[in-house]
Amino acid sequence: MSYIEFKNINKFYGSNHVLKGINLKIEKGQFVTLLGPSGCGKSTLLRSLAGLEEVTDGQIILDGEDITKKEPKDRNIGMVFQQYSLFPNMTVEENLAFGLKLKKLPQEEINERIKKAIKIVALEGKEKSYPNNLSGGQQQRVALARGIVMQPKVLLLDEPLSAIDAKLRKSLQLSIREIHDKLGLTTIFVTHDQDEAMVMSDVIHLFHDGIIEQSGTPVEVYTRPVTSFAASFIGNYNIFEADKISKITGVQWEKQVAIRPETIMMSRTPIENDDRFKMEGIIKEHIARGNVLRYTIDVNGIEIYADALFRSASIFNDNEKVYLSIAERNCVCI
Amino acid sequence: MDTNKKSSKLAIVVIIAYLLIPLVMTLIYSLFEEWIDILPRNFTLNAYIEIFSDAVFWISVGRTILISVVPIILCTIIVLLAMYVTYIYKPEWDKYIQILCTIPYAVQGVILPICVLALYTSVPKPFNNRIFLLISTYMIVILPYIYQGIRNNLQGIGAKKIIEAAQMLGASKFYAFFRVVVPNIMNGVTVSIMLSMAIIFGDFVIVNTLAGGHFQTAQMYLYDVMKKSGQRTCAVIIVLFLITLLISACAFFIQRKKKEEA
Amino acid sequence: MNNKKTYLFALIPFLVLCILFELIPIIYTSVRSFVPEGKDIGFTFENYINIFSKTLYQKAIVNSLLISILSSIIGLIVAFIGAKAVHESKGKLNNIFMSILNMVSNFSGVPLAFAYIIMFGNVGVMTMIGSNYGIEFLANFPLYSVWGLLLIYVYFQIPLSTLLLIPAFDAIRKEWKESNALLGGTNFTFWTKIGIPILMPSILSTFSVLFANALAAYASAYALLMNNVSLLPIRLSEQFVGDLVQRPEFGSAIAVVLIVFMIIAIMIQNKLTVKKGI
Repeated sequence: MSYIEFKNINKFYGSNHVLKGINLKIEKGQFVTLLGPSGCGKSTLLRSLAGLEEVTDGQIILDGEDITKKEPKDRNIGMVFQQYSLFPNMTVEENLAFGLKLKKLPQEEINERIKKAIKIVALEGKEKSYPNNLSGGQQQRVALARGIVMQPKVLLLDEPLSAIDAKLRKSLQLSIREIHDKLGLTTIFVTHDQDEAMVMSDVIHLFHDGIIEQSGTPVEVYTRPVTSFAASFIGNYNIFEADKISKITGVQWEKQVAIRPETIMMSRTPIENDDRFKMEGIIKEHIARGNVLRYTIDVNGIEIYADALFRSASIFNDNEKVYLSIAERNCVCI
Repeated sequence: MDTNKKSSKLAIVVIIAYLLIPLVMTLIYSLFEEWIDILPRNFTLNAYIEIFSDAVFWISVGRTILISVVPIILCTIIVLLAMYVTYIYKPEWDKYIQILCTIPYAVQGVILPICVLALYTSVPKPFNNRIFLLISTYMIVILPYIYQGIRNNLQGIGAKKIIEAAQMLGASKFYAFFRVVVPNIMNGVTVSIMLSMAIIFGDFVIVNTLAGGHFQTAQMYLYDVMKKSGQRTCAVIIVLFLITLLISACAFFIQRKKKEEA
Repeated sequence: MNNKKTYLFALIPFLVLCILFELIPIIYTSVRSFVPEGKDIGFTFENYINIFSKTLYQKAIVNSLLISILSSIIGLIVAFIGAKAVHESKGKLNNIFMSILNMVSNFSGVPLAFAYIIMFGNVGVMTMIGSNYGIEFLANFPLYSVWGLLLIYVYFQIPLSTLLLIPAFDAIRKEWKESNALLGGTNFTFWTKIGIPILMPSILSTFSVLFANALAAYASAYALLMNNVSLLPIRLSEQFVGDLVQRPEFGSAIAVVLIVFMIIAIMIQNKLTVKKGI
């Protein structure tokens, strides 16, 4: 039996069906990400595990126990919110002690646990500070410490990094993952950012419109999208209808095909390699995206996106003729 | 542009002068024995000494403070309890609470105390107790301010998320609202409380209508002195005005402190 | 989750308070206004007919509306000048101005009336100076009249309206003024074509606050003139308290008329703020 199980979860807001029969199993100690655009139901599922939302029907099992009808306070689940939600009138220490005191733990154990948690999130010296005097990143680390100090059965992270600027975010992503590895705490992370999901997760569940579109490891989800939504949401795939891909490859395809832009090779001279599909096109335009150039190429009236690393030697001009090649294994049927 | 600025400054100075003249005149009047020509004559602090040594004055100030504090505390508790229900369990009921808290605007001034008086003078004890009527009526008068203050501050600190966070740490909803959220909003609500305090402190119409001569507050004392001595009346006005100023100064500093913290 | 509805008990004190001291008194008064005078039951419009047909009460309505509207308009004009001045000049003077506005907004009711009595009353300082130096206008200042009251009402309207209008001027952006100037507009065209139209909702809603404030005001008038002035709040109060014969049913009708005026003022205000989307 899995550690956490969602059994046929349905949730309605009025007539709005936000969770459509979700079945999901999570193993103990895993770092699981629920990924999807806003409004896809990922947060609602997380909040129903926390007990902050009631599900319309279905069952939630945690550690062998049905918790569907339990109050949030009785579930022993830790949660970190996007807006930190620290108690502004309490110091860092008091914030961490809050739940432990409600549990009526002895003072020595409270002190011991706080000390440990502070160390894990590297906030030594800030114990007596008030949340308003801390930076956003520091506040989020306090929120994280407040979650783990309770030694919960599972830690829920609801878009905890969305309000933090890009640079700091990268380092917090790593420290969250590190903390998970150190404590072996089952962690469920909700985000709409696919890069974040790739970096952090053991398993990704891709949500769309109240259902789970695809589940798998980051590599699986990235390289083998199973639906056109998955392909477009992760990795900016080129998506071709069957007739169009048949036209440019010269081979008959039965289904839609997704091709990642970085797997398309570009050259000024014809490519000599028999294993690959070959075609000619005209560069329509190019955009610089960080260290990558994205070209829009016209192949027999069909638009293809291709990525190339930003090296001056290989920059193509608009309206230049270009030879393309695509390996068959990079054409994913969806 | 420069003349524009100058005329702005002039406009402000003129308005300030207009607003300060009655106050300054009252102050001067309270400090001189005679003022029937351009300059007042015979400086004296007698009026102040008289009222400061008058026990009746202090008792009436004490009554005013009592009659302000009790309704404010009760009203704040009652509204917090109601908001606990509408904020956590029944957000769809908030609009009705809001309507109930807006009605007092429509029965401002003399209207509400007259309606209360008309209804309750003929009912049996304890409902016709004047002090009870006075406190209850004051609670209705300050209801809009207390409600707005609490509501704005709940939204301001993001109380929804704080309650959720407290719940995840093992607190019940009741504990989360009253022990975590309420201490965090009280600073902000103090501003509405001080405003309510100033309103009740300056009230004449409600206490005059509902309690008549039975409960002498500072405003009633002032009204009595008015018939006796102009100079003393002015001194009472200045003293009461300074007390009110002190109350609103508290509100102002709390508000500024709050802004600095944010 | 928790299906027990025990939390509903927390609503009870609030509901009891509102029902006993807000709803029932208002409903009771409204119902009683249709009861014939001196009777316990019955239905009549006579109380209302009396209000609108007897000169004494017609005058009270006219005076009340006149003094409320005039004091609100004058208060608004001064407030507009003051708030515009605050908007156009920055610095210390603004802070002093704001502090004084906050301060004198507490100066109303009986104390305010008395301040005017010592200035313009029968033996007031200005009156004495006027008669000593033969300044007719000061010597015979009509303080104990509707016009004298108007002066007092204007005084307490100014701080309130200025404090309400100052934040509204924040909506006037510097760029609009600059665009107006670039397009060849003058300061005058800016305010008439852009500034005032933008501020109009705030101006009107401030007006309705002022109007309601003046309409129900009682203390200043009572302190100055006792019951010797024909204003709705005074006429209302004397039907229930004081030396005259008490006429609760008729008084209730006056109360309802006042409430209706107040509701109209509030509804104008609500409608405008909703439109603005605040």
